[in-house]
Order: sequence, then structure tokens, then C-alpha cells
Amino acid sequence: MKTDIYNRTYLRLLVAITLVFSVSSCSFDEQVDPNRASLEGVLTNASVNQLNNLVVGVEATMRNGLGIQTTGSGTMARELYLFDADPRNTADLLGANGGNLDNNSFYSTAPWAGRYRAIKNANTLLEAIANTTSITDAQRAGYSGFAKTVIAHELIDVLKSYGRARVDVADPANLGPILEFDAALDAVLTMLNDGLADLNGAGSEFAFNLGGFAGFDTPSTFAQFNRALAATAYVYDGNGSAALTALTNSFLDLSGDITTGPKHVFSLGAGDGTNDLFKITDNNGDQIIVHDSWIADAEAGDTRVTSKTSVRSNPTSQDGLNGTNQTELYASNVSSIDIIRNEELILLYAEASILASNLDDAEDALNVIRASASLSDFAGDPTSASELTADMLEQRRYSLWCENHRMFDLRRYNLSSSLPIDRAGDQIFNVLPVPLTENEN
Amino acid sequence: MSKKLFFNWLLFSFVFLPVFLFGQAVKGTVTDEATGLPVSGTTVLVKGTTNGQSTDFDGKYSINISEYPAVLVFSYLGYETKEVTVNSSSTVNVQLKESQEALDEIVISGLGTSVKRANSANAIAVVKAEELVGKTAQPTLDGALYGKIPGANLTASSGAPGGGFALRLRGITSINGNNQPLFIIDGVYVNNAEIPSGLRFASGANRGNEENSGNRLADLDPNDIERVEVLKGAAASVIYGQRASAGVVVITTKRGKQGKAKVSFSQDVGFNTIINKLGMRPWNAQNVEAQFGASEVALFNDAILNGGLIDYEDEIYGEEGFITETKINVSGGNEGTKYYVGASYRDEEGIIKNTGFDRFSLRANVDFKISDVFSASVSSNYVRSNSSRSFTGNENEGGLSYGYTLAFTRPWIDLRPDANGNYPDNPNYSGNPILVRDLAQNTDRNNRFIQSVKLTANILETEKDRVKVTFSGGLDYLGNETFVYVPEIHQAQRGNQNGFIGVGKNNFTFFNHQIVAVWNHDAMNGDLAFTTQGGLIYIENQSDFVLTQATQLIPGQTTLGQGAAQQIGQTKQVVKDFGYFAQTEANYKDMLIGTLGIRFDKSTLNGDPNKFYAFPRAAVAANLHNMDFWNSDAISQFKLRAAYGESGNSANFGATFTSLNQVSIGGNGGSTIGGLQGDPNIDPETSAELEVGIDARLFDKVNVELTYYNRTVDDLILSRVLPTSSGFGTETTNLADLKNNGIELGININAIENDNFIWNTGVNFWLNRSEVTRLDVPAFPQPGAGFGLGLGTFFIEEGSPVTQLVGNINNVPTQVGDVEPDFQIAFNNSFTIFKNWDISFLLHWKEGGDNLNLSRLLTDLGGTSPDLDTPAGQDRAGQGFVATRFVEPAGYLRLREIGTYYRLPETAYRWLGKDVSGVKIGLSARNLFTITDYSSYDPEVSVNGGAGLSSGIEVTPFPSAKQFYFHLKVDF
Repeated sequence: MKTDIYNRTYLRLLVAITLVFSVSSCSFDEQVDPNRASLEGVLTNASVNQLNNLVVGVEATMRNGLGIQTTGSGTMARELYLFDADPRNTADLLGANGGNLDNNSFYSTAPWAGRYRAIKNANTLLEAIANTTSITDAQRAGYSGFAKTVIAHELIDVLKSYGRARVDVADPANLGPILEFDAALDAVLTMLNDGLADLNGAGSEFAFNLGGFAGFDTPSTFAQFNRALAATAYVYDGNGSAALTALTNSFLDLSGDITTGPKHVFSLGAGDGTNDLFKITDNNGDQIIVHDSWIADAEAGDTRVTSKTSVRSNPTSQDGLNGTNQTELYASNVSSIDIIRNEELILLYAEASILASNLDDAEDALNVIRASASLSDFAGDPTSASELTADMLEQRRYSLWCENHRMFDLRRYNLSSSLPIDRAGDQIFNVLPVPLTENEN
Repeated sequence: MSKKLFFNWLLFSFVFLPVFLFGQAVKGTVTDEATGLPVSGTTVLVKGTTNGQSTDFDGKYSINISEYPAVLVFSYLGYETKEVTVNSSSTVNVQLKESQEALDEIVISGLGTSVKRANSANAIAVVKAEELVGKTAQPTLDGALYGKIPGANLTASSGAPGGGFALRLRGITSINGNNQPLFIIDGVYVNNAEIPSGLRFASGANRGNEENSGNRLADLDPNDIERVEVLKGAAASVIYGQRASAGVVVITTKRGKQGKAKVSFSQDVGFNTIINKLGMRPWNAQNVEAQFGASEVALFNDAILNGGLIDYEDEIYGEEGFITETKINVSGGNEGTKYYVGASYRDEEGIIKNTGFDRFSLRANVDFKISDVFSASVSSNYVRSNSSRSFTGNENEGGLSYGYTLAFTRPWIDLRPDANGNYPDNPNYSGNPILVRDLAQNTDRNNRFIQSVKLTANILETEKDRVKVTFSGGLDYLGNETFVYVPEIHQAQRGNQNGFIGVGKNNFTFFNHQIVAVWNHDAMNGDLAFTTQGGLIYIENQSDFVLTQATQLIPGQTTLGQGAAQQIGQTKQVVKDFGYFAQTEANYKDMLIGTLGIRFDKSTLNGDPNKFYAFPRAAVAANLHNMDFWNSDAISQFKLRAAYGESGNSANFGATFTSLNQVSIGGNGGSTIGGLQGDPNIDPETSAELEVGIDARLFDKVNVELTYYNRTVDDLILSRVLPTSSGFGTETTNLADLKNNGIELGININAIENDNFIWNTGVNFWLNRSEVTRLDVPAFPQPGAGFGLGLGTFFIEEGSPVTQLVGNINNVPTQVGDVEPDFQIAFNNSFTIFKNWDISFLLHWKEGGDNLNLSRLLTDLGGTSPDLDTPAGQDRAGQGFVATRFVEPAGYLRLREIGTYYRLPETAYRWLGKDVSGVKIGLSARNLFTITDYSSYDPEVSVNGGAGLSSGIEVTPFPSAKQFYFHLKVDF
């Protein structure tokens, strides 16, 4: 009996402790990410601060994948080689040994991913401004104009690399179809025009700051950037007169500084990125080498050759390829990359003029470019559209070297097959395959 | 008052009181034959009756016999049962011998209980201290388990000192989630994370798991371990809940025994050397010109004239690293307190200069018997470990990983520093490996404190019922500091990062507490024994990772403040789990044993943190040899068993969140979409396993264990790559089902047992096959487990094994190999000759299984593959980049451990002093030889670390080493 009483005490103790334990462990709170802000948090009732953070996100991610986007298309267009540790840069991209471009390797996945990340950030911004009351209508128009213009810019880059693009991507659960080039370009132009309408109703200043848009960071000056993009799209569409109209509303200046224009900026600050296209002079193991034909085909005295490249002090070769010159396009890893500059607008003006049969204007524009490169004037037949076109393409080849233009320029003029083959068994590719992850099958 | 005193006296005596009936009692003392120590708690039973007693703390018993002659049966778990016929009241002293019979061994049956293996329905592998570290010195715990656990696939991720292993029990359990079993030491849920150091920000590697980090199990000293029990799958591990679907490894450390204090000292010295050098291509002027062009031949000829070609493989990997390990421990105790205190220090240098691992471990295990009712146990372990692993593995243009650099470095270019200490640039790659070896650092330091406390209360003791309650708690605190330094003079740093410092300060606090109540009930006059248990358990894991990087360094400086560009990152994680469990086991006369159990678990890692998931368990074992009809002498034990259980595996931390990352431009900070789309409704994976088997003992010498298992994992959590145009990269959600099945066979034979020659041999055979049985999305390459379909990757596809390697052939993803071995065999032998001399060895044979050797891709590209002059080499090099080119068979036969020890006869050491009770010396080796067709350093390799789908893809790893040791052990 006494044993029972003794044990009953222990049993009561046991019960009490069990209760303590149970109580201490009952219910868990809903979990939030302790390390980062949530997407849901900005989609409703976003403050100006949060919206501006999204703007920074948009501008920053416009730089994603720029390195491989540029060197990939540059390799395919035989304007440069990238010698680094990844053999696919000198093999796959040049079609070595009869191989094909892989739709699941970095060169086809990274540019697509970079562009669509920026587009997603811009779409998030558009959704956020539609669901908040902390901004005025004019400010809203400013955000909207900015976002739509950027989306259009990113889609143009996608079309240049892949020839097709998925335009309706706002809802990740219901993605629109991948459109072919013409349909996609139409959508781009519509977006640019909508963007312009927004910008025109955005007042005299934006509610946000931009990093690389010095001189283009008010609604009216940003609209000039919008029109520059529209001109590009119209030219790619073959519509010369619309392009010329757009150019007049852009920052085109035939007698002005050819380097003006918005830029991607870089820095070493926390969270920021550096310029992937900068390569250390004479370095080995990671180098952008100029394709020998670019040096050989240049007109004597073309200062673009000497300012954009330099002769290597020790020759380099990789995988059976050789080159004498390397890139000097960027001075340091924080040098900015032009998004679109006056020089390109002048060239677009030339091209649009040819399309619109204003051959004299085209010749004048080409001569501006030639003069800037210390070359003499155009010496061909000024009444021949084909000769002017050929010169225009040559000027684009040198003025826009290593800027992701050459491959698309040749493709749209059906001239890709004129590119040189460096090694037996190599092939010319002029478009990247849409990544495997798009589940096209 | 006096009555109370009397009862108190009774209570403070021992549970089963002797009945004093003079003239009818037999009494005596029961001791352990080997040590002479008393064995308390031995059951003394009059055969054929229920008249039984238990020996007291001094091993004494006194039993009342009503009728002579009678047979007394002495039995205790782990010892051979002894029967003695008594004819009259007398003193009968008995010595019990430890049981050799495997089925008498004790194994775990629940969170608070253990049971004779004979009565367990599961195939539980037990590795005892002697097997674990008895043959040769083992640097880490997980490395010591090779070949000792049938069903386990253990692959070293890297040969770097300080380890890093992937341990898979019965195949892959989870693709994204945790594939490593739960490790529990003395009741503490231990942290076995691989912690990245951030060196990928200097080298360009793609993700943290490519940094070849060590696993924090390396902090545990394998010499402290008494036994390791491995619950291989859900059929056994249900009771451990949501973290246990990949199995549980339960480790018990050494504890003191009652008796005179014993001191043991041991010293090992040895060295590390590379297992297998690949050699240099046989260079001559012709192949130099063919590979690199005419201008290179001049450099080649110059070098030949000035001292010859430099063997960089030998230069970097050719060190013989010195190893020393010193251990000392003291153990002993009396009735009330038993202790085991030990300290050990291991210092190991690697095969690359300036690499190494050292570990200092201090342990104190104390057991208290406070009273008849209360007892307590405390285990404390402090470890301080440091490792220096240098740079290996994957990278992109960092110029750091040795394998990468060596693939492009040409032996006629001299990269050694000149008289002024200047290192030349490497003309063929972005880094000088000699500079990296001498000046760059990748080190980590760890302070670890593992503490467990257990309090047991025997609440109730009656004839038929015993109830005990155990409260236990465990804490594992790890303070980990990582340091990565790349000097600003490094070739790839100049003009770019201009020097890199990465300092990580990571804190992990893992604690758990639980309360378990166990009720033993004897029904049907002792024929039917019930063991019922139930309890609650709470686990909380807190982690805080802080990584600070500095670049643009002031020359020669190695602290963060001296970098002009600084970047900080912090990640915090808090995970909480809570569970209830209950289990009951019924044992009918040791003939038929049935178990039913269930566990309910909830976790903050699941989409709904308060939803309980149920994991049931059922098992039955039939000991046919105990049944009446059994009369075979040849087969002395024969058990059939079947078990079914379900267990879970939660998603990784963060799977439920869709968050924004920080990004900056132009001096403004902002937010961008992160790559991961979260699933707020994610469920844990459930693995259900059915295991059936036979255990038998034949001819008194042969133990056989055969098991077949079938495990299905439902609701596998996968990261599938989303269409990138959605803006997201990956989504983690429940998408697939997976199946693993296989066979394990273990045979152990005590072949010869003479006075002068003892030979024990064992063979373990196991194989596993897997298949993805359901996949809700189109087949996809697993992110983070490969490098794209162009080069070969793990590919998740319905109807195919989860371990398949797939590459694009004619633009169609096609299977090119399978990492799963066809089967594995471990062959274990130990000999004792003339009582003093032990020899033993362990051979491990892995048959089949393919690796993807991407190191070969790099050496082909650099022109340095040793076989490029042979027809086979040229064929391969001409193939272009197709996945089939790099798939190689990775089977091997390896002598994992071999050792020989000699126990000095007493005359040899008597002069040392009368306190010395034994001296043993020995020689041993680890990984002594490997026979394999694989063309790189080690067929066991993983570029993506030990978690998830990882083993089998190679990109320039740290080469593996073999070790030789001399041992000295002195016991006092």
C-alpha cells in the first residue's frame, strides 16, 4: 500500500512534467522568410520605397547574362573568340566537328534567363503599381512607361538572339505562346507605343532614380530612349519611314557626340555587379580574342581597330584557333556598357534612309561615322542602294564590334553564309535554340 | 514512522528482494567470465517454474527452492545462458560468457528500448568499436563505415583531409532533400552539414556544393564510439519520425564500467600518400608540335636542355603527409557512479603541401545511479577541429582549382618561384598552381560542443509491471569559421578582384528534448511480454550563416577591413519539429514477436507548420528455433521476419517562400525576383518500406542474414526548372514517386576456433535498383547535379533509374550510364595466431556503376591527357563533346583496411612497471591498393558534395590518399 502511495507521487510528478512539455511545444507560427522580403509583400499596397526597389531590380537585371549573350553571338558571327575554361565556347558555338548547338547549355540558357528575369521584374512592377494607392496617377504613368520600355528592350534582345520570343509572361502559371519574329516584333512596337503614351502623361519627373540613365532620367528624355528603341524595331521590321519618324523624336544628333546614350553601369559596391566583357590585357585563360578577319578586312587607318583592340604581347591559341588581337573595349571591370548610343542611331538613320530610298541622307550619315573613325568618305556609287547597304553593314561591323549586333545583322540580310570557316568541320550558326526549359515539346 | 523506515529500507535495497528461507535456498555470485566483475540484474530462474530472482549489485543472488533436484537457469542479455543442476541447498557461483551468437546481441527497438536481435523484426546493422577502428586508424566516423554495413553505399566526395562523404542507405531516398541518414549520438541529433566557405566567389564555381567542403561529422572522434547501430530504412526508423526516411545511425559512446579505474593510452603515427598518380603524357618534339604548334617546340626544347620537364602532378600531389594521433582515456566506477573520460588529438597532413586536418576532442561520460528509482547519465564532448583543404573541384576561370590548372599547364613551362619569391604567370591558364598552393588559403576552424543529459525514473516495479520514464535532452552547438584568401598578385585576380578574402562565421545550435515512458507488462504467467512505449519529442535547429567578402585588397593584407569593396551576406534558418509516438511490442515466449507503432510529426518546414503527418509501423518476427517442433541441431537459430514502416522527409528550408533578392546599381539598392518559386502548400516526402528476411545460425559457426526490401517514396520533392520566360528559375514542389528495392546478404563464419588459431570471416553482399515511378512534369535534368545535357547530367525521367546519367545524342536525351553499382561485396577476415598476434583485413568490391569523368574533358582540351598519343586516346579526343565520351565504368576492388597487431607477452613489458596491464603494437594501412579500370584518381568521387544526387560526376577532385600507420597501445 505504501509502495502505491510512493509511486503515486512519482506518477503525479510525471503527469505534471508531461504537461509542461506538451504546452511548450504546441503550435507553430506561420513561417516567414527571415532573410529576405517576400514577393507577396510588394504586390499589394506597395510603398514608394518598395516600388523604387523594384525599379532598381529592373535596371540591375537588365545586365544579367550580358557577357555570354555578347560573346556567344560574337563567336557565332566570327567577330571574336572567347578563350576560357569552358570548351563549349570554342566548340559548340562554332559548330565544331559537325556538332549542333545544345538547347540546355549555358550559351543558350543564360541570355534567355537574363532577359526574362528583367522582364519579370518589370511585370512585377506593373502589377505592384496597379495595386497600390501610395502614388499619384502621373507617378504611376512614369513607372508604367519605364517598365514597358524596358520590357520592349529586353524582348528585342531576345529576338536578336533567338529569332522568337514569348511575349505574354506576366502570369507564370499561364504563359502565352512563343511568337515568331514578326508577330513578336509587332507586340514590341505596340508596347513601345503604349510606353510612350504613358511617358507623355508622366509629368516632368519620375518618382524614382536610375543608375545609368544620366541625361535620360526624366519622362521627356526617357521618351527619347523609347523612340530610339522604336526606331530599332521599325528598322528590323523593314519600315524605313516609321523608323525615321521615331528617330526624329529620339536623341539622334548627326553632328553631336556619338557616345551619348543610356548605359549599363557597374560598380564594386555590395550587391552590385561588374562588367563581364572586361578582360585583363594579356591575360591567359580568360580572354576575348578578335577574329583575324576583323583586323584583316578593316580599311587602313580605321581608328576603331586601334581603340577597341590591342595586339597581344604573347600569342595565344586554344582548340586550334588563333588570334593576334584581344579586346580593349572596356578599361576596367566597372566600365559601363552602352545600351544604345548616338553612333548606333546614326547608323540606324542610314539604314532607315536606305529603306526609305533617301540615299543622300544615308550617305551623309555613313560619312559621319567614317569621319569619326578617321576614314575617308564613302567612295562607292551613291545611287546604289546595295553598295550603301554593304557599307552600312561594314560600318556597323566596326562601330558595334562585340556589342551583340553582328550575328543578327547578317541574319536579317541573309548574309550569314558569307562568314569564314576557321577549321575543317566547323559550321555557321546564326540563331540560338530556345532553351529546353521552355518545354516546347 | 518505523513502518516508513522499513519501506524506505526496502526501496533503497534492490528491486527483487531475496527471500530468506534458511535450508531451502541456493545462493551464490554471478560474474563475467572475461573480466571477473559481478553481473547485476542476471535472471536466476528455476527451470520449469516461474520462481525467479535477479542478482543484486554485487552479483549475489539467493533463491528459494521447493524441490530438489532443480535446474537453475542463469540468463542476461548479451551473455550465453547457463544452466546448473543443484541437488541441495548450497552455494553455486556462476561465470557468464559473452554471447558469440549474433542473435543474442542487443539492438534498438524503439526510442527508449532495446531488444535481443533474436527478437527484432528488422535488419539492423551493428558495428562495434573493434570493427569500427580496430583494424586501422580512421580519420572520420563516416569514413570508418566502409564495407561494414550491407545496403550502404558510401562515396567519398573528395580526398581532402577531414573527409566529406555521401552515405546512402538502400539507395537514393530523396533527390532534392536529405539523402543522408539522421545521426544520433547518445540521444543528441547531430549536425552533419557541409558548410560552404564562399570560395566560389573567387573561383567562379557555380554553387556552394561545388566547393568540396568537409562534412561536420569529421568532428566526431570514431575512437570514442562503443557501437553504431544503423536503421536502414523506414521499416525500422519510423519511430524517429520525419527526419528518418533515409535511415538513422544511432551511435553510443563508451561508458564506464564498475571496477578498478583503467587507463588506456595509444599513439598512432603514419603518413598519407596519393593512391594513384596518373602520370605525364610522353612528350617529344613531334607531339608537342602537333598539339600546340611549332612555336611551342622551342619552349619544349629549352626546357629539356635546362633541367628537363617538370612533373607538376608530383609537385602538387606528391607530398607524404605526416599523421599522428594520440589518445588517452580513463574509465572506471563504483556502484553509484561510472565514468569514462577521454581526450584525443589527431593531426594529419594531406598530400598537397599546406593542407591538413587536426582535431582535438575531449569527452566525459558519467552515469549516476542516484537511487533505486532515479538514475542519470551525462555525456559531454568538446571538439576543436581545423582543416585546410586548399582549392579543388569545379571552377570557372578562377585559376585556383589544382585539377583545372594542371590540365592546362605544360610541363616545359617553369612556374616555380624565382630567387626573390616571385611566381611567374601561367601562359596557358589563368592561375599558377604553385602560387595557389603556397600563398592562397582555404581553411576552417570549428568549436563544437555536444552535450546530452538523460534522467531515468523507475516509477513502478511490481511482479508483472515495470514502468520507467526517461527525460532526455541533447545539445549540439557548432561555431564554424571559414577563411578563404586569394592574394592580389594571383594572375586571375590582377585587374579584376585584386585579391579576395572570404570570412564566414556560422553558428549552429541544434537541441532536442524528449520524454519517453516505457511500460513492461508480463501476461499469461510470463509467457507473453508486452513492451509499450510512448512519448513526445521536440527538436529545434537554429543556424546563422554570415559571410563577408572583401576584394580590391591592399597588397599583402589578409583582413577584411583592408579591402576596398566589401560585401556581406547573412542567412538565418530556424526549424522546429514536434512529434508524438507510441509503440507496443508483444513477445510470446521469444517465439513470436509482433510490433505496432505510430508516430505523428509536424514541422515548420512543411507548407502547413501545424499539420500532423502520421507514420505507422508494423513488424513481426518468428523465432522458429524456439518453437516446439524445431529439433534441428545443425540450424540452432532460425528467424523469419517482416517489417513495414513509413517515414517522412520534409522539404529544405525556404521551399515555401517566394522571395526577393537584394541587388544594387548606380549606388541604389533594390529588390529583384529570386530564382526560386516557393510552394506554400508543400508536403513532406513519405517513404514506405517493406522489409522481409531470414536470420539463421548454422552448425554453431555460421550466421546468415538475408533481407529483401522494397521502398517507395511518394511525393518526392523536386526542384524542377520552370520555363525561364516565367522569370523564375526553379520551383520546389511535390512532383514524383520513386522506388528502390534490393537485397542484402550477410554471412559470418567462425571458421576456426583453436587455442592457437582463430579465424573469423564474413561476407556482405548487397545490391539496389531504383526507378522513378511517377513524374508529373516532362523529364528534366536535375539542377545542380551535372553540367547540362551536352556534357552529361543526372536526368529525372519516369520509368528510368534515378541514378541514370543522360546526355544529348543526336539532340535526344539518351541514357549513357548509371551510377548505381551492379552489386557490392565486402569481405572481412580476422585471424588471431598464437593468442597474441592479430591480423585482419577488409576488401571491398564494387561491381558496375558508371562515373562521368569531366576531368578528362579538361585534360583533353589542354592537351595533357596521358593517353592522347595512343589510338584510344586519339579516338576519344576526336569525338567532340558528347556525353558518351566521358562516361567510364567505375567499378573497383579496394583493400580498404589491413592491420596486424601483436600483444606483447607480459614478460616483455613487466619492466615498465606493475601498473601496466597490456601493451599492443601494430602496423596497418588504409586504402592500400585499388584495382580499377577508371582512368582518374579515384572512382569514388562527387563534384557536388554529399547531399542530394551527387556521387559519380567528377571534375578535378582532391585526389584520394592511402595511409600507413604504426600503432602503440598501453593499458594500465
